[in-house]
Amino acid sequence: MIGRIWALALVTFKEGLRDRSLYGIFLFALFVLGLNVLVAGFFMRDLGKVTVDMNLSALSFAGLLLVFFIGINLMAKDIDKKTIHLVLSKPFSRGEYIWGKFTGLVMFVGATQLVLLVFSSATVAVVRWMYPNFFAGFSWGIFITAVFFVFLQHVLLCAIVVFFSSLTSSSFISLIFSLASYIVGITLEEVVFYLRTPTANEEVAGAEFLQRSLEVVTWLVPNFAAFDFKLEAAHGLALEFSHLGVTFGYACLYIMLLLILASVIFSRREFN
Amino acid sequence: MSKIKLSKISKTYKAGLFKKKVRALTDLSLSVDAGTVYGLIGPNGAGKSTTIRLLLNLSRPDRGTVRIDALPVHESLGAIGYLPENPYLYDHLTLKELLFFAGRATGLATSDIRQLMEHLTATVGLDHVRGKSLRTFSKGMRQRAGLCFALLHDPSLVILDEPMSGLDPLGRKMVCDLILSLKKQGKTIFFCSHILSDIERLCDRIAVLHQGQMVREFTPDEITELRQGKMDLETEFIDVVERNEVHA
Ligand SMILES: Nc1ncnc2c1ncn2[C@@H]1O[C@H](COP(=O)(O)OP(=O)(O)OP(=O)(O)O)[C@@H](O)[C@H]1O
Ligand SMILES: [Mg+2]
Repeated sequence: MIGRIWALALVTFKEGLRDRSLYGIFLFALFVLGLNVLVAGFFMRDLGKVTVDMNLSALSFAGLLLVFFIGINLMAKDIDKKTIHLVLSKPFSRGEYIWGKFTGLVMFVGATQLVLLVFSSATVAVVRWMYPNFFAGFSWGIFITAVFFVFLQHVLLCAIVVFFSSLTSSSFISLIFSLASYIVGITLEEVVFYLRTPTANEEVAGAEFLQRSLEVVTWLVPNFAAFDFKLEAAHGLALEFSHLGVTFGYACLYIMLLLILASVIFSRREFN
Repeated sequence: MSKIKLSKISKTYKAGLFKKKVRALTDLSLSVDAGTVYGLIGPNGAGKSTTIRLLLNLSRPDRGTVRIDALPVHESLGAIGYLPENPYLYDHLTLKELLFFAGRATGLATSDIRQLMEHLTATVGLDHVRGKSLRTFSKGMRQRAGLCFALLHDPSLVILDEPMSGLDPLGRKMVCDLILSLKKQGKTIFFCSHILSDIERLCDRIAVLHQGQMVREFTPDEITELRQGKMDLETEFIDVVERNEVHA
């Protein structure tokens, strides 16, 4: 079983790495990082914070592009183009297929993020070397932790992509639904926060009801905002270990549930 | 012993936005003995590919049972080698990587995979492009690559959906020889094709499928007559299809 999952993961990983769009995304990320070094001199006050924030944002955005442009295709195209007929004619169970694809996706996102992290760390190191005064509060530990949680966010996103791909045969529909989950997941926390404030009760009609219904949605859509530690990394604020643990556990649980659900749905599907 | 046994299979597709039902197979029963070459022929849309997808658990019948080696299909996949119609392979992989995937997925050891791969790619005439990306393959080359993918793990049941399509005359001869050599090794082969001369030459049993129903099955004696030229498969085929035409 592990052998089959690994074989499929490897194939998926290689397919991802050889996608041409990868170069584009890498160029984009490198461009942003290069820009960071060049414009560093303009931010005389919060240079350190801006650099860290810009780096994390670049990694996060590049990861999103990787998942949405290449990752989606790695599973959805299989079904779209019927390559899956070949794969499932080998003794794969449907669950093994799901786990194999997910593992391959995670390997792909992990490897590309790792390469980007090297460039990003180099950028931070260069800017820090040029303007050491602005990096008093900076800590590599917190920076790397923040990057790890950006990665965890993308792993969760991979699980969402796999889940939606298991439901539909169209890569476009998987893309739309995954994108929607992400956007809702990243903004929901703020909206709920706002609705809880006293001003919201005056400004929004039916805020109470809206708040209740949104709380239900909060339970369905993953809270992507929880993985954002840009602020802490930028200001060098210490991270609470328990908080990190809970976030990590939340992601793992969510991923497990999504994949189990996807396996169940997938076992019932027909591929005509 | 029968290798494949379909009993009273019915299958409808629900196609389109409004789930309009399309009847693909009606009460189809057939059984294939171990060690025989079984040929399925029929007009376009007769339900040949549908039948084959049922054998691989890619689709499931509405009614009836499918058994391979007396087991439900999902338990017998390890014994099957399958070539889909118009195989779409992984674009960015090389042929070698694709076959290594096939080998690992079926639990072969790396050294065995290498040996089998070299032998098989030479048989189908792709040994010079093992390291090339599958994206650069022509239609016939893909078909050959698909054959390697199906046969690598030495399956006891080989299911081929139009194996000759897109092949040049040499390629067709290669597939015919391959089928005969598989038969000699005691494998069971189930395939469909529109090239009646190949069917006639290779098969121990021939069935004609039309509008989802089996309308004729040729006995071994009749097949001998076909080969001796006492009966013509093409006229028999057209005749039986026209006689069984049901106007909906
Ligand atoms: N995915 C599908 N959705 C809906 N209907 C389908 C689907 N696949 C096949 N059908 C229908 O089922 C019937 C049988 O199709 P099938 O592909 O099995 O024919 P075939 O015998 O393989 O034909 P061909 O010789 O052209 O390959 C046809 O009427 C077809 O329209
Ligand atoms: Mg067909």
